[in-house]
Amino acid sequence: MSALVWVNLDNITLDHPVMDAAGSEARAIFIWDGAEMNARHYSLKRRVFIFECVQDLGVPIYVGDPVDILSALAEEADILTAHTPDPYVRDVLADLRDTHTVRVIDTPTLAVVPAGTDTGRFFRFWNKAKRSALTHSQTGTSS
Amino acid sequence: MTHQLAPLDLSNVTSRDAIVAQVKALSPNLDDVVVSPLRGGREAAMARLEALDPQGYGKTRNHLDGAVTQLSAYIRHGVVSPVDVRDRALDQVDGKRAEKFIQQLAWRDYWHVLYAAHPERVWTDMEGYKTGFTARDYADDLPEDVACGETGVAVIDYFIGQLLATGWLHNRARLYIAAYVCHWRRVKWQAGAQWFLTHLLDGDPASNNFSWQWVASTFSHKPYYFNLENVQNFTGPDVDTAFNRNKDLAGSYEDIAAKLFPHLEAKP
Repeated sequence: MSALVWVNLDNITLDHPVMDAAGSEARAIFIWDGAEMNARHYSLKRRVFIFECVQDLGVPIYVGDPVDILSALAEEADILTAHTPDPYVRDVLADLRDTHTVRVIDTPTLAVVPAGTDTGRFFRFWNKAKRSALTHSQTGTSS
Repeated sequence: MTHQLAPLDLSNVTSRDAIVAQVKALSPNLDDVVVSPLRGGREAAMARLEALDPQGYGKTRNHLDGAVTQLSAYIRHGVVSPVDVRDRALDQVDGKRAEKFIQQLAWRDYWHVLYAAHPERVWTDMEGYKTGFTARDYADDLPEDVACGETGVAVIDYFIGQLLATGWLHNRARLYIAAYVCHWRRVKWQAGAQWFLTHLLDGDPASNNFSWQWVASTFSHKPYYFNLENVQNFTGPDVDTAFNRNKDLAGSYEDIAAKLFPHLEAKP
């Protein structure tokens, strides 16, 4: 069975390395988790905006608990998602790891900094990140 | 937990009214009727990306009608990536002229690095307050008049009204509201941060909460505050900045600091 890509709230896109990693036959889905929306106290306008983003993407939208839905739809297949620091995504994937192969694919970032960079204040980070942040990802130029 | 293993049938969900009805059906306990004029989706995002003016942004971004992009909600949900936006800016101007704009984009990366390293810190004080008060001196809950934009301070009520109606605010307006909540009303930043996350279409815990901490001074060297003159300098005629309707904000920075932070020693 083809891999299953979970389109998460931080990455409502198919223009992401997770799609290449999942392969051309991969199935991408979004899960509308009403309990999580309530826990986040999202207003109607936030929910409508998110729904529009997902609908525009054209992926199937399932409703309910993501662990149950991902587990049932994946069957024996791998489950992939784009990286996000959101603990909600981390916790869902943790519940799936005993039964499925789960892969988290890095989301490209604007700024690349060396390991151990001082992040105590923004401008210390920016001084290390500036060169990469100001460089075009395709042409490699900044000026 | 119940779930359905068939996806939603959206064949009839083609108009905005139908989308709103669908979302309401998915949110039976939500007592809310306000929908933003900002539309979600890649097409809407790309239209804003096409209109990007990085050089104009650098020059006018602080003004409330400056050349800001309103791309933040699309970036927040990954509809477009900061890399896409940076590349678009560098397609138009060189790195030096796009630097102010790209630096603002990099704040999001910075907040996310912190969030990934310290997810628990997104709701707890990174450091102590530098206001002369401790966390115990701040109220836990957002006052009702703030929540509905009826504080009696005209500029604050104007911006809260914009937040509630559209789910979007210029960054400077966010700073004004956050400073008003934390310092004028002495409410914990967490209450304001949760309120913003409820309404801001671009609200994400990292960027939002760490920014509130920056204003509150629990993640900065000093509290952020402002005065009415500052608001007048950065707003147009649609914002009521008359003294009589904004008395709480009026005065020199020294006067405001003495009023808001009476336990701090005045700097010579």
